[in-house]
Formats: sequence, C-alpha cells, structure tokens
Amino acid sequence: MQRLFALIWMVVGVFSLTAYAQPVHIDIEASGVRKMKVAMPTYVGPPEMAGSVWAVCEKDLQMSGIFEVISPQSYISPGPLGEVQPGNLKDFALIGADYVITATVGRQGTSGQFKVQVVEISSAQVLMSATYTSRADTMYMAVHTFMDTLLKEKFAIDGIFTSKIVAIMKDKGQKQLYVSWCDGTGGSVIRGGGSLVLNPAWSPDGKKIAFVSYARNNPDCYILDVATGKMKLVSSQRGINITPAFDPSGTRLACTLSVDGNPELYSMDLDGTGRIRLTSSWATDTSPSFSPDGRRMVFCSSRAGNPQIFIMDVATKNAQRISFEGTYNTEPVFSPRGDLVAFCYLVKGEGYHIAVVQPDGSKLRVLPGTGKGDESPAFSPDGRLIAFASSDGNIYVTDLLGTTTVKVTSGGGFTEPAWSRPGM
Amino acid sequence: MRNKCWFAFVLMALCALLINTGCAKKTVEPSREITPPQQGATTEQPGSMQMETSKTGEESAAQPQTQGQAQKTTLEKEMASFEENDIYFDFDRFDLTPEARKTLADKARFLNTHPKMKIRIEGYSDERGTQEYNLALGERRAKAALDYLVFLGIGPERIATISYGEENPLDPGHDETAWAKNRRAHFDIL
Repeated sequence: MQRLFALIWMVVGVFSLTAYAQPVHIDIEASGVRKMKVAMPTYVGPPEMAGSVWAVCEKDLQMSGIFEVISPQSYISPGPLGEVQPGNLKDFALIGADYVITATVGRQGTSGQFKVQVVEISSAQVLMSATYTSRADTMYMAVHTFMDTLLKEKFAIDGIFTSKIVAIMKDKGQKQLYVSWCDGTGGSVIRGGGSLVLNPAWSPDGKKIAFVSYARNNPDCYILDVATGKMKLVSSQRGINITPAFDPSGTRLACTLSVDGNPELYSMDLDGTGRIRLTSSWATDTSPSFSPDGRRMVFCSSRAGNPQIFIMDVATKNAQRISFEGTYNTEPVFSPRGDLVAFCYLVKGEGYHIAVVQPDGSKLRVLPGTGKGDESPAFSPDGRLIAFASSDGNIYVTDLLGTTTVKVTSGGGFTEPAWSRPGM
Repeated sequence: MRNKCWFAFVLMALCALLINTGCAKKTVEPSREITPPQQGATTEQPGSMQMETSKTGEESAAQPQTQGQAQKTTLEKEMASFEENDIYFDFDRFDLTPEARKTLADKARFLNTHPKMKIRIEGYSDERGTQEYNLALGERRAKAALDYLVFLGIGPERIATISYGEENPLDPGHDETAWAKNRRAHFDIL
C-alpha cells in the first residue's frame, strides 16, 4: 500500500512538475478548442450506489467545461470496470478517449468509499488513483473532492465543486430559496418568510444570502445568515426593494428602490443605513452587479428607451452603455475575473439567450444554451462557467463558449440562480 | 342617473330620520354602515324599483330588509366591478392607454364618492423578459395608475402599490392573448 501511494505521488509529482514548468493553459475562450474526451465504463459496486455516483461524476465532468464524456453506447468494454488493465487500453484508444475513469464504489456501514482511477490513454499512465470516503447517503461529496483534486492537480484549474448555488424554487404555489451544491446535489429549501421570495444573491464570503421577500406584503430586501438561518430586514422602503447585490467587500449592498419615485439604484450598509443614491434618470434602473475590485458596477437601464446594459464608475457615477444590439438586454452580472459581463439578451426571432460581452461593450457573444429561453446568468466563482435558468424551469450550467450545457436541477420550478465562492 | 336620484332620496330620508332621533352621527357616505337605518327610509320610498320587483302580498313584512340588501348589493356590485376592472399595458410600457385612463377615471369617481376607502394597486407584467426587470416594470405600472388617480384628485395616502412582476399571472397561457391579460394593474379595496 505504501509503495502504491509512493508511486501515485511520483506520478502526480512528475505531472505537476511538467504542469508548472509548462502550464497546461486551457483557453476555453479560444475558438475551436477541443474538449478532452473521457470514457467512463460502468463502475464496480452495488448498482443503486454505483449508478448515482457515476451519474454525479459524469455530470461534474461535463460541467467542468473541459471534458466531454463519450456516449456509453460506443464503449467496447462497457464495464463494470474497477480498474484499467493494459489489455483494456486499446478499447478506449479506439473510441477516441483521452482519459478513462474507472471506479469501485463500496459501502461499509454508514460510510461509503469511492475508489477512482484516471488513466491517460496517450501515455498509458495512471494519472490519478485515490480513494475518497463519505457518508454513504452523500456519496456526491466524495465525487466533489475527486473532481476538485483532478482539476487542481492535473489541469491547474481551481475546483468549483465545493461551491453552492442558491436559486428560487416554486413548490406547491410558493417560491422559496433552494440551496444545493453547484451540480445540484444535496439541495434543501430555506424558507424566506411569506409565500414569495425572489432575487437571491450571495455575499462574497458565501455566509449570507441577500434576497427579496414579500413576507410583509411588500417586496422588501432581507439578508439571511446561512449558518444560523436568521433573517434580517435590510430595506423596506415604500415601493420596491429588489435586486440586492453585495459589493466585493461584503459590507455594502446595492439595491433597486422606488422610494424616490421611479426605480433607481442605491447602495447601503447591511442594516439599511448609510444609503447612497447611485442613479438619477427618468428611466428604470435595476439589476446592479459589481466588478471584482468594486470600482465599477453594471446594471440594466431603460434610459435609452428599452432595457440595455450600462456600466458605471462607482466613484463618479458616470455610466456608459455597453449593449448595442437588440431591444431587450437585462440582468447583467460582472464576471469574478472582471473580464466579462453576462446578461440576458433577446435575440430577435430566437428568444432569450445568455450573452457575454467585454466591459467596454466589445466582442458580444451569444451562448446557444438550451434554445428554449434562458435567463438570469450567474458566473461560477472562477468565472469560467455560467449558470442560468431556462424556461423549462431548470438550472443549467454552460461554459463560456456554450459548447456544453449541463442540466443541474431536475423536476423544474427553478429560477434565478446565484453561485457562491468555493469552500462552503 | 336614476340610481343617483334614488340615492339622494335615501339620503334625505336618512338625514330626516337621524335628526328626528337626535343622532349626531355624521353620515354623508352611502356605505354599508347606513344599511340598518334604511328600514325607516324604505317605508318612505314605496315607489322604488327594488320594491316593485320584489313586492308580493305575503312578503311585504320582509321588504324593508330586502331593500337594505338591495342597496348593499349595489355597493357590493360597484366594489366588485372596481376590483374586477384591471387596466392593461403594451409590452415593456407603463404609459396609460386612453382606455386605461377611462377606467381610472371611473375608479376615481367611485373613490371620490367613498372618501374613506383605501385601495392597493398591484402591478404585473407578462412572463416574457426577466424577473428583475419585470418587477421594476410592474412597479412603474402600479405607480402610473397611482399618479393618474392622484391627478384626478384622490389623496395619495389612500393608495398603496405593490409590484409582482411576472409572478401570479392572471392567465397562465404562453401566447399573446394571455400576455395581454397579464400586462396589467389590478385594484384591490382594502
């Protein structure tokens, strides 16, 4: 066993060295990028357990934005396969796989083991071999750890699978907060008071969620402490108190209020004091989102006659329009990398799509998404992926080229995703 | 017009009754509160329409009550129609159409006749577009209706607004017929 570990670490070490000497830079924004093809023959283990672990693992690989999972129908050895033997290699080389991931899933009492092996076909080497344990009923946790380790150690990409998504879920006529891991596993409802809750937003540290609740018969803004479940009223001015967004310091909240007449943007402390008005126009100004340095803010305004995306210098309050195509551009969000703004773009004759644009308004790119009407984009914490809500009521995750669109939730009723930082 | 005359009669009779009984209660508003004293009023109003239609020999003893109910029904009908008649908007617009102005003028007349009534205007959008923008749009629609009612002389303190955006659509359909019904401001008497 010791020797096996030493061997694995050697492999890891060698790979890491090469990786750091010559970083494997995956420019997923470059056109024509080829995703790495992964074969995942059926895992060894009790079918009910192995099946769900396999499904989560497949979803996470696709979601990561760098892998493409080969259709099981093309496997020559469909499995179950716990480990790749030299004799199996050509079966996977023939179907064009770059990597083969095999696993054995087992159970000991209440604890489950996920023993996983990643083999690189081109070098015929074991890239990774490790065992992850978790409670048997939350085996997806083991998959998340495996995925983050794989991404970090082998592809120099910060893991995302310990980040969470909060969305609005409609159930029995009520809309409440729904928090799950970013791949949709381990979800649960958090009641935000009343029967209608909207516009969730994470604090930068992932410990709080700002949202809108009609608990007091008005769209008011609240902050929820995720650990304690305690809710605090932030803003309940006459009119709307909607679309909260934390600034990067996590000490101020930007919101849309109509207290002074029409919907304008304001920022305030988390207790609602120290309110500063950010916009002054006859039009509707809404949906603020800060740049990672907090100096700029994107928002949606109808000051040009229909809703368009604007960017504001927060210090001077000067705003410039950055969307010039289409007549309905809404819900902008700043990438955590600061290099892009995603928003909901009405493509004439084709409905609503998620689009990305540079903060200066150049290089607009429309993501294919589901093609059924996509809204409410939310960047992943590393800015490589975008979660959004489709008109079918589910949350999807796409990469910035839109080459893979993965369905994260099931069952429907979901809207307005927001994505937390990892390590939750 | 006929209705108005009838109201005036009832009021006069009522005033007479109140003065006679020495009641100092200030009653200028024909609301539900005045229903009980109407028993007296009806005896002085034998020619009213409601009496005629409901009058039969044996039921004459029950008539005063019927009359009261009839007036209550009129007010209830007016209130119901106040709450039933929404105003509608074009896509992504919150300016009032001529039709909406007409409906609001009717509502202002009713509110002027019932100065104690308070209302709430709910602003809605259709399902197209995004939730966040639609919440703001619903607010502007409710506010546009409020502003016009204030312009017509209704005190702003009597009017509350709330926006639901694309939530709670009146018609759950996904076509223009449904959308047109859902781009609305709805009025509730509080």
